[in-house]
Amino acid sequence: MRSAPAQIPTSFGHELRACLRFRLVKTYDQFRESGCENCPFFKMDEDNERVVDCTTPNFNGIISVMDPSRSWAARWLRIGRFVPGCYTLAVSEALPEELQNMCEEVHVQYVPPKRV
Amino acid sequence: MVRRFDDEDDDVEEEEYEDEEEQLLDDEDYDVDEDVGRGRGGSSKKRGRSDFIDDLAEEDDEEDEDDDDEDYGGGGGRGKRHKAPRDGSQFFDLEAQVDSDEEEEEDEGEDGFIVENGADIPDEDIGRRMHRRPLPLREDEQEDVEALERSIQARYARSSHAEYDEETTDVEQQALLPSVRDPKLWMVKCAIGRERETAVCLMQKYIDRVSDLQIRSVIALDHLKNYIYIEADKEAHVREAIKGQRNIFGAKIMLVPIREMTDVLSVESKAIDLSRDTWVRMKLGTYKGDLAQVVDVDNVRQRVTVKLIPRIDLQALANKLEGREVPKKKAFVPPPRLMNVDEARELHIRVEHRRDQLTGDYFHYIGPMMFRDGFLYKTVSMKSISAQNIKPTFDELEKFRTPSVKGEGEMVGLSTLFANRKKGHFMKGDAVIVIKGDLKNLKGWVEKVEEENVHIRPEMKGLPKTLAVNEKELCKYFEPGNHVKVVTGTKEGATGMVVKVEQHVLIILSDTTKEHIRVFSDDVVESSEVTTGVTKIGDYELHDLVLLDNNSFGVIIRIEREAFQVLKGVPERPEVSLVKLREIKCKLEKKFDVQDRYRNTVSVKDVVRILEGSCKGKQGPVEHIYKGVLFVYDRHHLEHAGFICAKAGSCCVVGGSRSNGDRNDSFSKIGNFKTPSRVPPSPRRFSRGGPPFDSAGGRHRGGRGGHDALVGITVKVRQGPYKGYRGRVVDIKGQSVRVELESQMKVVTVDRNFVSDNVVVSTPYRDTSRYGMGSETPMRSSRTPLHPYMTPMRDPGATPIHDGMRTPMRDRAWNPYAPMSPPRDNWEEGNPASWGTSPQYQPGSPPSRAYEAPTPGSGWASTPGGSYSEAGTPRDSGSAYANAPSPYMPSTPSGQPMTPSSGPYIPGTPGGQPMTPGTGLDAMSPVIGPESEGPWFMPDILVSVNKSGEETHGVILEVLPDGSCKVALGSNGSGDTVIALPSEMETVPPKKSDKIKIMGGSLRGLTGKLIGVDGTDGIVRIDDSLDVKILDLVILAKLP
Repeated sequence: MRSAPAQIPTSFGHELRACLRFRLVKTYDQFRESGCENCPFFKMDEDNERVVDCTTPNFNGIISVMDPSRSWAARWLRIGRFVPGCYTLAVSEALPEELQNMCEEVHVQYVPPKRV
Repeated sequence: MVRRFDDEDDDVEEEEYEDEEEQLLDDEDYDVDEDVGRGRGGSSKKRGRSDFIDDLAEEDDEEDEDDDDEDYGGGGGRGKRHKAPRDGSQFFDLEAQVDSDEEEEEDEGEDGFIVENGADIPDEDIGRRMHRRPLPLREDEQEDVEALERSIQARYARSSHAEYDEETTDVEQQALLPSVRDPKLWMVKCAIGRERETAVCLMQKYIDRVSDLQIRSVIALDHLKNYIYIEADKEAHVREAIKGQRNIFGAKIMLVPIREMTDVLSVESKAIDLSRDTWVRMKLGTYKGDLAQVVDVDNVRQRVTVKLIPRIDLQALANKLEGREVPKKKAFVPPPRLMNVDEARELHIRVEHRRDQLTGDYFHYIGPMMFRDGFLYKTVSMKSISAQNIKPTFDELEKFRTPSVKGEGEMVGLSTLFANRKKGHFMKGDAVIVIKGDLKNLKGWVEKVEEENVHIRPEMKGLPKTLAVNEKELCKYFEPGNHVKVVTGTKEGATGMVVKVEQHVLIILSDTTKEHIRVFSDDVVESSEVTTGVTKIGDYELHDLVLLDNNSFGVIIRIEREAFQVLKGVPERPEVSLVKLREIKCKLEKKFDVQDRYRNTVSVKDVVRILEGSCKGKQGPVEHIYKGVLFVYDRHHLEHAGFICAKAGSCCVVGGSRSNGDRNDSFSKIGNFKTPSRVPPSPRRFSRGGPPFDSAGGRHRGGRGGHDALVGITVKVRQGPYKGYRGRVVDIKGQSVRVELESQMKVVTVDRNFVSDNVVVSTPYRDTSRYGMGSETPMRSSRTPLHPYMTPMRDPGATPIHDGMRTPMRDRAWNPYAPMSPPRDNWEEGNPASWGTSPQYQPGSPPSRAYEAPTPGSGWASTPGGSYSEAGTPRDSGSAYANAPSPYMPSTPSGQPMTPSSGPYIPGTPGGQPMTPGTGLDAMSPVIGPESEGPWFMPDILVSVNKSGEETHGVILEVLPDGSCKVALGSNGSGDTVIALPSEMETVPPKKSDKIKIMGGSLRGLTGKLIGVDGTDGIVRIDDSLDVKILDLVILAKLP
């Protein structure tokens, strides 16, 4: 194993949310309990409110990436360097500005989703 | 020790890489080494070999070292750093890595049993980096927190950009396109609704089985039911992975072609922007399809509160609340209506007025339903509304506008509208206005359009040349007078002129219906195109006279979706009914003549005045006649598309001459003679007209009554012994007509009803008519600019006639009365307002061309000589004429066609008097170029004068009888006054927004402003009437 995979969603329904920055998909509760494996700096596990800000229930499609570094799909979607886990293909919402600033602080580039 | 050395070597290199990261850890080098030693101990021999490769690979690595470092920095470690469990996985990793190295050496192509078979070199690199990384990680655990923190900070500080390598420029993305070496996508059938679940399950399976599954990823798309994609190198891997999955059935595994792989992943990100005030539509239930406005969004619970216009049947509600029996099945959906609380109370429905705990606002409660301002506030699941491509119609938005929030509401509507704009909404050159932000109300023009930003050139001075503005903050801007076309929405396709601008709502005067339509300025583009939207359904066109089911009849005055509005032929009062296509029996195309109050014959296209009834005093050409009912078109009549229905008996023909003339071009002269006032003041024009008059008049003037339109025109005998013969009407006596047959030199008498005057003339005759028409141009041109233009069109057929000329008998063919163009068009030609209204005039259809360019001048200009050369070169025709017994032939080598007739007839025609053969020719013949413009000169216009080789501008002060002009030199007429010959002058073509004067056509003499140019047409706003007309540029002269 290259890296520990992210938590796998425990359900597949409405509770699923996607991290706006890393597109990781988990349930609300999972985010609340352990945050997003890719972006600990958001500290979602410490601040439950943050979960709502950082994640969205509106996402499109799920991709389970077993082997991010060697998956073409993961590379294409620019998630090739994240931990293995379930991601979404696209989120449509942008990260709130406050959190975008936070990204900047830790030098994580943030590219808002392109509008169709 | 060799190994040891290697390792050290390796480590040194690693340090080079990672010195930034590891500077803090340097002192722990020993530990590191030990770790490595332990880790690699088991495979020392292999390691030795792989190191060699490693070095090679390292070179590669070094090339993109920076990238790698940074990539790595963000790539794997950070998230898991703290947690990275110290299990044995690293060791496995190394082993696997080494194995793959070996394989690579042997040959990658062989399908081996070893897992990494398909891995390509870049992957290899990643793998290698992966195994190198764990070193510091393990350190981390032994590090004190402070050092760790510093190390992290140092790393983050360094890799300040491209952390996650996610800049998705198109080029970069291109580089990621799948190649044959990448894993493939396989499509697998799975249970409907279980796509996500399956993807997640496979992930879990992968984790549980500790990577002996060799699939790379599993993709479940929301929009693709019943299938999931699995990314793997081999079908066998897929098979292995899906074994035992209960949601995946079928053994069918389909390979996605490499070219389509990107399509699988390129989902349009659903731009659900469910923020407050967004317009949405309900998807389900009573309100299905209704427009609603988002009031509140609960993202966690996936619920939205929307504002709706309630569809509540109060009576039914009251019944229900009182426990009375309610029919289970709803018979109908109540119409949307704002809730009236008082009304509800009257029905004894309990209405509470209390505060909502969540929002703190007051609502009226009826049971669980919340109302405010009459709107229903309803909380629904996000799934039950659709927020995409919602285009509220104008009417819907109107309803949502409560008086209290009028202004606000409008802005809100606006912004939502913008959210749904199509791409390419703005185009370079569009006039726009900023509606939001600091620059609000700044007007400008679009210079450049980028993804989201539009660069505009601001109107105001002192601002940067261009400003980038978010397209959402822009709105198209129009001014009254702009001619626009509606490009989206319910009124799509209509064109018209903007008459009023109310914020972002435009009121447009439709070209078709002459009605006002209200549209969003966003749905509109500026266009000079004059279309009518739909003008035809089936065989029936706008303004056709149709027979309806119940034997009534009427004129189609408007075409709606699948139905026509028909103005019924009921003279007493205007009666309009909506008629479906199938209710129309047929089109009535027969032409009838009726008699007006004074027993004058009225035919189609005659101009009549209405003497009685509500439309008394109106006048216009007759468009249709049926059963004694006239349909008169008066463009000043604003109702019913300008049509008035009147009994023939309550109308009188206006200026019989005009109708005659209109019907039969050549006859117009009669009218002109009778009413000298119509003769244009310019002697030149007059003279030009001379010859034709003569030619025509010489023959018939004596006997003609002047009011009977039929005399002189070519008719075809439809019945009787002469059926099929064609001839010219020489006389009319009661019901019988004397027709001079063309093919036999004799005059026969036929019943008037047996002839049809709507002859499609065959070529030779056309030519005749050409001369006829041309010759009488001066008169007509002043009124009906078209005819001269039509002349050249006929020309191709001209030649035969010249030959014909040789025989004295055919001389007659010269007669301008001879065949005319289908007479009915004339009035329309003369009536520019109607250009837009009738589909024939739409650009593009060949016949309409003629009408589009309504000016004589243009006609000539556009077919210079073409006509004549085709008709036979001057010489040819000359020879033709030489044979003809005409005295004038020698006089004008180039102009023969004209002169022949004029010579002899001059004496007879008062109008023709001043004319010399030469001028006649000049005026007539397209070849003659500049002189053909001569007749158009008129006072006040700017001309360029070319006297003695010097070209100067001047303003015409006066047009002298001989055609030359008194010109004040200087571009504003301030200089000397000189006399210039027409050949020495040229009009100055106007440019957009120049003041112009119209030199020809029915509007001759009027001034206006050129507000646009479309090809050879100019769009002119007439000063007096503010009407916008489309006129040929050639007849427009610039004013100083």
